[in-house]
Amino acid sequence: MSTAMAPAAGFAGKSGHKPKMASADRLLLAVSLVVPVLGLSLFFLYPLGLVAWRSLVGLDGSIGLGNYASVLASPGIRTATINSLWISALTTAVCVVLGFILAYALQRSSISGKGLVRASLALPLLAPSLVQALGLIFLLGRNGVVSQWTGWTIDIYGPVGLLIANVLYGLPQAVLIIEASLRHSDARYYDAAEVMGASHWQQFRDITLPNAKFGMLSAGFVVFTVTITDFGNAAVIGGDYRVLATEIYRQVVGQMNFGMGAVVGILLLIPTLVAVYIQRVASQRQFGGGSESAIPVQPSWLPARDLPLGMAVFAISLCMIVVVATVVLASFMFLWPYRMEFTLRNYVITLSGGYTPLWTSLLISLMAAGFGVVLLFLMAFAQKRLPPALARLLYFGAILPVGVPGLVLGLAYVLAFNVSDSVLGLLYGTTVIIALCNFYHYHSQGFLTMVTGMRSVPPALEESVTCLGGGLRCVLRDAILPFLTATTVSVFFFLFMRSMVTLSAVIFLFTPQVMPASVTVMRLDEAGFTLQAAAFSTCIMITVALAMLLMRVAMTYLGRKKAGA
Amino acid sequence: MHLSIKNLYKTFDDFVALDRITLDVGPRDFVCLLGPSGCGKTTLLRIIAGLLPFDGGMLTLGEKDLATLPAKERGFGIVFQSYSLFPNMTVAENVGYGLRVRKEPAARIAARVAELLELIKLPHLAERYPHQLSGGQQQRVAIARALAVDPSLLLLDEPLSALDARVRVAMRSEIRQVQRRLGIPTIMVTHDQEEALTLADKVVCMNHGRIEQIGTPQEIYARPRTRFVADFVGISNLLPADWVRDVLPELAGQCPEGDTKARELCLRPEDIKVTADGAGEGRVTEVNFLGNLTRLNVQWKGRELVAEYNGFGAPEVGESVSLSVTPSAGAWVRA
Repeated sequence: MSTAMAPAAGFAGKSGHKPKMASADRLLLAVSLVVPVLGLSLFFLYPLGLVAWRSLVGLDGSIGLGNYASVLASPGIRTATINSLWISALTTAVCVVLGFILAYALQRSSISGKGLVRASLALPLLAPSLVQALGLIFLLGRNGVVSQWTGWTIDIYGPVGLLIANVLYGLPQAVLIIEASLRHSDARYYDAAEVMGASHWQQFRDITLPNAKFGMLSAGFVVFTVTITDFGNAAVIGGDYRVLATEIYRQVVGQMNFGMGAVVGILLLIPTLVAVYIQRVASQRQFGGGSESAIPVQPSWLPARDLPLGMAVFAISLCMIVVVATVVLASFMFLWPYRMEFTLRNYVITLSGGYTPLWTSLLISLMAAGFGVVLLFLMAFAQKRLPPALARLLYFGAILPVGVPGLVLGLAYVLAFNVSDSVLGLLYGTTVIIALCNFYHYHSQGFLTMVTGMRSVPPALEESVTCLGGGLRCVLRDAILPFLTATTVSVFFFLFMRSMVTLSAVIFLFTPQVMPASVTVMRLDEAGFTLQAAAFSTCIMITVALAMLLMRVAMTYLGRKKAGA
Repeated sequence: MHLSIKNLYKTFDDFVALDRITLDVGPRDFVCLLGPSGCGKTTLLRIIAGLLPFDGGMLTLGEKDLATLPAKERGFGIVFQSYSLFPNMTVAENVGYGLRVRKEPAARIAARVAELLELIKLPHLAERYPHQLSGGQQQRVAIARALAVDPSLLLLDEPLSALDARVRVAMRSEIRQVQRRLGIPTIMVTHDQEEALTLADKVVCMNHGRIEQIGTPQEIYARPRTRFVADFVGISNLLPADWVRDVLPELAGQCPEGDTKARELCLRPEDIKVTADGAGEGRVTEVNFLGNLTRLNVQWKGRELVAEYNGFGAPEVGESVSLSVTPSAGAWVRA
């Protein structure tokens, strides 16, 4: 092949002949690029940079590694680090094992009631993470039903309770990832093994397990990350068991020690970034092995396997349901567990503001989802039209937020926006800043979904528009939007639902005037109004469940529209 | 109008995709760009459409320089392999799209759409959506959409490759008829030699970013100039000059003088006549029955030749045969 051949004399250079872009098209492209990038820089990169900077500024104003030294020397934080690592590792191990069992049962067995199992796995998405802890306390706490009925004294506060709550919270995410890896295997491997005379156990050991390996690895890292950075469960059920997430909160909110808080924030970034990196490497290898035209494996019915498997799966599902159902049930009881009489009195919220936080959260979530969808859409649109090097850079910037735990982002926002000497300070204490924080917290997942959606737009369709005389605006309207409606809707609801329940970032940003619903649940619990906390959680769950239902309806409608009038 | 390409040059990083391409397309020409994948034919089409920039050379339509003219202002029609209809628009809306973008009055659009649907014989499907049509129907709509704006040039990027074999053959003659009737200069990219030979006025055979030969379908098939063309279009026996001089001296006459090592004789299978003959020097080594004819591999005077046998009663493997070659057959090609 005639590669590396220099252009003959008299030829123009590489910059040669490039058709000019119309000015309207250039403007549209510039806006699509500049606005989201500006947002990302101002509301993500800049605050995060401040955390790194502040971790180096000591209490006396000196610059250096003093904070790091004092953090490492502080026995409290050393204990918290060890506790965090320990509890997260345990949670991960349990979640991967249980997650594999559930995913395997859902994908490969013929147990009935899979819909119920899936529904039970969706429950933790509906509520702030502290609901699991709340439910456990109602069941197993000092004033829980179990102690009440049996007379045993169980100490659920502490590592055991935290472990169970974390597992309940992390398990659904593990199941989703492992299921995906099981879904991608090819039935022909099993057919070949069957013909060669391999037993079911041999097929499981030699085909199923190796294929699910990367999925399990990936699930493990995700669970580790969400556990080590989760705040809600640790705050409610952790008791005296100190972990990094509560420690950073104590340092910043309790002792106003921003430098130390920043150091813990930076430390929290390390396991997350490592996890994200390894997960990416693993997923690339995973996809490298799969083939395009894989024939999906059909679930089979093997009583010796499916009966015990079904029992295990339903036991796990039952736990998930019982814990959340207990919260709902308790919210209607006069005095759990002593006076089990139906009442609505817990729904009269005594904390100042009453139900205002629910409306605040609704407003925040609508804002986060609304401008989030627009910004992500524009970003994905621009990213596709950039030269490859710039596109990669933008991509990297856009997925960076996935490596930053909500707590660190919340702290970063305090440092960046709780200032009196800058215009940025005007945003502090408004719903807008919390909406922005929630959006950038979940930026990466939304962006990846948008990019995947963009990829489904046939390039030839865009080119058809151009050749027929349409500008970039026509390309956007006639070629891209019709293919991206469903994606846009799902990103909108994803941002909305996450924003409704997230606690870790907003815990730093609320003010008495602007208080999101998830914070209210935590404050009610702290103030001892556990039943009101349960009632408030129930309200959040109903709101998010309605949103989920609305999304289903919208998706069904869009699906039907696509399938033809 | 007359499309003129002179010394067009295009690289992707260090890879030369198009190496000094020179080509003219007359006002009523149907030109096929033919070549294996990666030969640069699609790149050339996309540059003509304005979807890709180029590095050097000239690209003009009539008096107009196309080098810096954006695709949307060129006024060309393009049809892709993947149909690329708007899934959310009806057939009529798809066909009228280019006119709507140009802000033509609604009445004129409706009239033009009706006219084109008549042309592609689908007026009864005007209100259907693309997913309700067959592949062949979708591709006809795509062609109508490209024609609606009265393009000064029609570009077809492997338009028939996604269709079933039968539909493909039917569509071929439809495309040809429409193009003849409207007299629009057309450039089609294809890797299917049969398609190029049946459709084109002019076949441009490309390889490795270069034009190997331009000619009518008859010229390309009967008088290939390079080994690549002889090999890519149809089946050929490529015979070294020395061997031809020894074995078939009557064919050696036309061999140009000079470096005989760089020349080979391209002999088509149909030029070799096979007769069953117990005393013949040829021995059949392989037989492929193709229905109307049988293709034979024959070991003959130290070489294996491909020959054809029409009708039934073809020799079988191992049989002895004698071969004779039409005296004026074959074309000398550059090796």
